[in-house]
Amino acid sequence: MSPADYEGPILEIERLSISFFTRLREIPAVMDFSCTVQPGEAMGLVGESGCGKSTVALAVMRYLGKNGRITGGSIRFKGRDLVNMSDEELRHIRGSEIAMIYQEPMASLNPAMRIGDQLAEVPMIHAGVSREEALRRAREVVSDVRLPDPDRMLRSYPHQLSGGQQQRIVIAMALMSKPSLLILDEPTTALDVTVEAAVVDLVKDLREKYGTSILFISHNLGLVMDVCDRLCVMYSGEAVETGSIKDVFDRMQHPYTQALFRSIPLPGADKNARPLISIPGNFPLPHERPNGCNFGPRCSYFEAGRCDAADVPMFAVDGHDRHETRCIRFREIDWAAPPKVARTTEKAVPGRVVLKMEDLKKYYEVAANSLFGKSGAKKVVKANETLSFEAREGETLAIVGESGCGKSTFAKVLMGLETATSGRIMLYDRDIQSTPIEKRSTDTVSGVQMVFQNPFDTLNPSMTVGRQIIRALEIFGEGKTDEDRRNRMLELLDLVKLPRQFADRMPRQLSGGQKQRVGIARAFAGGAKVVVADEPVSALDVSVQAAVTDLLMEIQRKNKTTLLFISHDLSIVRYLSDRVMVMYLGHVVELGTTDQVFSPPYHPYTEALLSAVPIADTHVQKKRIVLEGDIPSAMNPPPGCPFQTRCRWKSKVPGNLCETEVPPMRQLAEGHQIKCHLPDSELARMEPVIKIAAE
Amino acid sequence: MDDIGWLSVTGRILWQFLPVWICLAVTFAVSIRYKRSLGLYGKLFDSTIGMIGFAMVMFWVFTAVFADMVATHDVLSQISQMKNKPPGTVVPAGTSHYLLGGDHLGRDVFSRMVVGSRIVIQIAPLATMFAFMVGITIGLPAAYYGGTLDTVLSFMANLILAFPVILLFYLLVTPEIVATGLPQYMGLVLFLFPILFLVVLVNSRYYVKPQFRNVVVGLIVLVGGFFYLALVSEPESAVAILPRRLDFLSVPGNILIVFVSVVFVNSPTVFRIVRGITLDIKTRDYVSAAQTRGERPWYIMLWEILPNARGPLIVDFCLRIGYTTILLGTLGFFGLGLSPESPDWGSTINAGRKLLTVAPHPAIFPALALMSLVLGLNLLADGLREESLKD
Repeated sequence: MSPADYEGPILEIERLSISFFTRLREIPAVMDFSCTVQPGEAMGLVGESGCGKSTVALAVMRYLGKNGRITGGSIRFKGRDLVNMSDEELRHIRGSEIAMIYQEPMASLNPAMRIGDQLAEVPMIHAGVSREEALRRAREVVSDVRLPDPDRMLRSYPHQLSGGQQQRIVIAMALMSKPSLLILDEPTTALDVTVEAAVVDLVKDLREKYGTSILFISHNLGLVMDVCDRLCVMYSGEAVETGSIKDVFDRMQHPYTQALFRSIPLPGADKNARPLISIPGNFPLPHERPNGCNFGPRCSYFEAGRCDAADVPMFAVDGHDRHETRCIRFREIDWAAPPKVARTTEKAVPGRVVLKMEDLKKYYEVAANSLFGKSGAKKVVKANETLSFEAREGETLAIVGESGCGKSTFAKVLMGLETATSGRIMLYDRDIQSTPIEKRSTDTVSGVQMVFQNPFDTLNPSMTVGRQIIRALEIFGEGKTDEDRRNRMLELLDLVKLPRQFADRMPRQLSGGQKQRVGIARAFAGGAKVVVADEPVSALDVSVQAAVTDLLMEIQRKNKTTLLFISHDLSIVRYLSDRVMVMYLGHVVELGTTDQVFSPPYHPYTEALLSAVPIADTHVQKKRIVLEGDIPSAMNPPPGCPFQTRCRWKSKVPGNLCETEVPPMRQLAEGHQIKCHLPDSELARMEPVIKIAAE
Repeated sequence: MDDIGWLSVTGRILWQFLPVWICLAVTFAVSIRYKRSLGLYGKLFDSTIGMIGFAMVMFWVFTAVFADMVATHDVLSQISQMKNKPPGTVVPAGTSHYLLGGDHLGRDVFSRMVVGSRIVIQIAPLATMFAFMVGITIGLPAAYYGGTLDTVLSFMANLILAFPVILLFYLLVTPEIVATGLPQYMGLVLFLFPILFLVVLVNSRYYVKPQFRNVVVGLIVLVGGFFYLALVSEPESAVAILPRRLDFLSVPGNILIVFVSVVFVNSPTVFRIVRGITLDIKTRDYVSAAQTRGERPWYIMLWEILPNARGPLIVDFCLRIGYTTILLGTLGFFGLGLSPESPDWGSTINAGRKLLTVAPHPAIFPALALMSLVLGLNLLADGLREESLKD
């Protein structure tokens, strides 16, 4: 049978086991993994980091590095055995019949080659066509991935394109040879949400156009729901549940899947009435997996003697479409039972105003040409443009925006790492806008602290955890003696629910979530009044996110701290914040209570942002709004309204007001402000983006 | 007693090195036994390359320590009958052999090679360490503050790097220049850096505990300052600060010159490495965290950035000792700095080169010694780099 007229499944993986061999031991990365991808089907692989989902993808490409090895099972691509295929045959298949798209677009492109040449290489190598023909095809594919001005794109180098454009080029490259299977490994993680939405949209359209089968790897359940027909949930090297999207999302049959869904903020979750339920414990290390069910120790349905007796096989769920689960007790568990609500808390009442910003501006001067700076004209980057808001005691104010919106600059000015160009920042009754951090009093410094985004970067890797917290105490002048400070440090560890033994551990011995807890303990060392949390959970796994978010909320309630929560993830913002501030290119475009911002009328940008956030709930109906193009550079902002280049409502504004004038901040309702030219009649016609379908 | 053949020469040499073998065996046995609890040093024993390199380096370190036991003859005594005699020749008195033959003045090549290791092992690591202190103390602020300071410092580093090294050495040892005290003044500045470094290191961390800080800084200034004065002050020269009675550390003028020049040409390279690593590390969140809790710049540089730059710096340190060793050899070869009768490897190679066609052994053995030490250092650096990347 020739490969061309093959009609079975595109990819069949059966009982695949993969191990990595290190000096000390063999580390099993994937065990007993089976899945089938039919022609034209999109299969999602979901799981937390370290669960082996990328390893499966790499095994399909037979690219496991020198210490990875397939130790059992088979992978068949169009009926051909990939495991025992020779290197020569593999070279033929890779890139032509199976193509892979990685997370970092910049790392997948050769920075020294023009886009056109890189794209043309694919058919020149695999199909042996002439250069002219290859370039012609490249131009076709580039317009297929909806890039503007394909000829210019083909002539440019990768660094001249934005992240979203680069990822589109990588997708174009994968499509050049019309592969039968496309593997996408977290293709949008490095991109902003609105760009992510556009890329996902593109992948879906291309799949229809080319009929390619897709293996889509992601940790984001919402994205998988958007893209795939079927999914496979992985935990600690095993597939725990596999089935169609509808079955797995609505009629899940594995405790891990259920726990995963309960730990992500879906519309309707509320920090006071319906808090998230985090999964207790930690992900087991590959060489410390428990006997029997890997999820056993963290499972609320665990039954000793049965769940930990022997390895659990996959069971087919009767009456569902190819739905399998790796749970012994799946027939006994009442899946419809509502979760036990641990505790509900009173909604905190915001107190007096702690932090007040008035017309804050931060401009940077950038020499156009640094080497000959004198002759070149100076450019002004307006990182923050007239920021005004106030935050009260015990309140959570979310600052939402994508990269380049000025939220980091704002944080820097607030912390005193930069001074404001003009405007005022009032902390209680003190002006701090022009006091750099060296000149601030210890009180002010310890009163405004920050929790950082990247858990792997937030702690000094060569200092023990305890030492780092004690250092913060020393600097903030807490405690009289070393003894005092050590005790205070242990109390702080208690506060963030870490065992006291962690004081003597090095950061590398901690998991991401634990590191983030230490970061929180450090921020609260001096009794911080205002804490800026810069995407504190976005780099953590879903199951850990809920726990860390909860912890932050709890400490906030206890200390009546004002929390400035910077995030681009609107689901979590909706879950935990009292008020929301939406920023775009240095401007605050919308400010209001959470309910006001999340329901119409919206600012057009808020509307697009809401639509872009993937929501892992089959009952939610979303209006699809895909923003064209990328976020303009802050170096070169558009004239008039900053959002006018991508706004879909622009035509509703009379004249060329949007292009010429920055809109004023308008009061829509008590405490709801919006920066838009749209007349009231148009705003009133806006429909909600997210609708929850009746059950 | 008769002349002996190659086989017994080899046997006797191996026997002479007995104390070195014992120490090597003990070091390896202990290190391998406890390698899991020894950090990066312990990990070295997982890499064959690293172990070979470490063994070669430690061989010469122990040889330097036990040079008096290993050497068979006095390094300066000449026996005229032994001029250019081949390896294994018996001395006229008939009591012993010149294991690796005699040189052009009838001195024992083996003993000179063994004792010569002392000079290298003493100067090379110490000079490299000073170069690192200087490079780190300048490189950290250059990268951390950036701007004009960085531009000026980098320009100066480039200036030194661009100047021909050999010419620089010739200039430094010219008697007229030595008489002006220039090398000593340079030493005055360069030797100040370790003290500065330590004081800033302690102060930046402990300024929050003033009593403790005062005691430690005071000790450093007193002890370090005394060593510093003793080191730089030389009676009857341009710099004679300390009275003779107190000047317990006397460094021969020519050694000082060699030392100063080696530090001087090495520190700009270290500066660039430190600057590069710092530029990377200073963007990390833990540096921002330190800034937002109001830490002072030097604390951030020395306690937040430097410890995390240690991996590449340790590797470079090993490599740089190797370069310094070669540099010392070069200096000796050109007859710069050290006295002509000094047994260091560079000088011996230079002395042997004139009769290379007649008697190659006086030049070849020190050359082999030099090569094995540098090779060992390079392998050690490779091993460390390899192991520090693994987890």
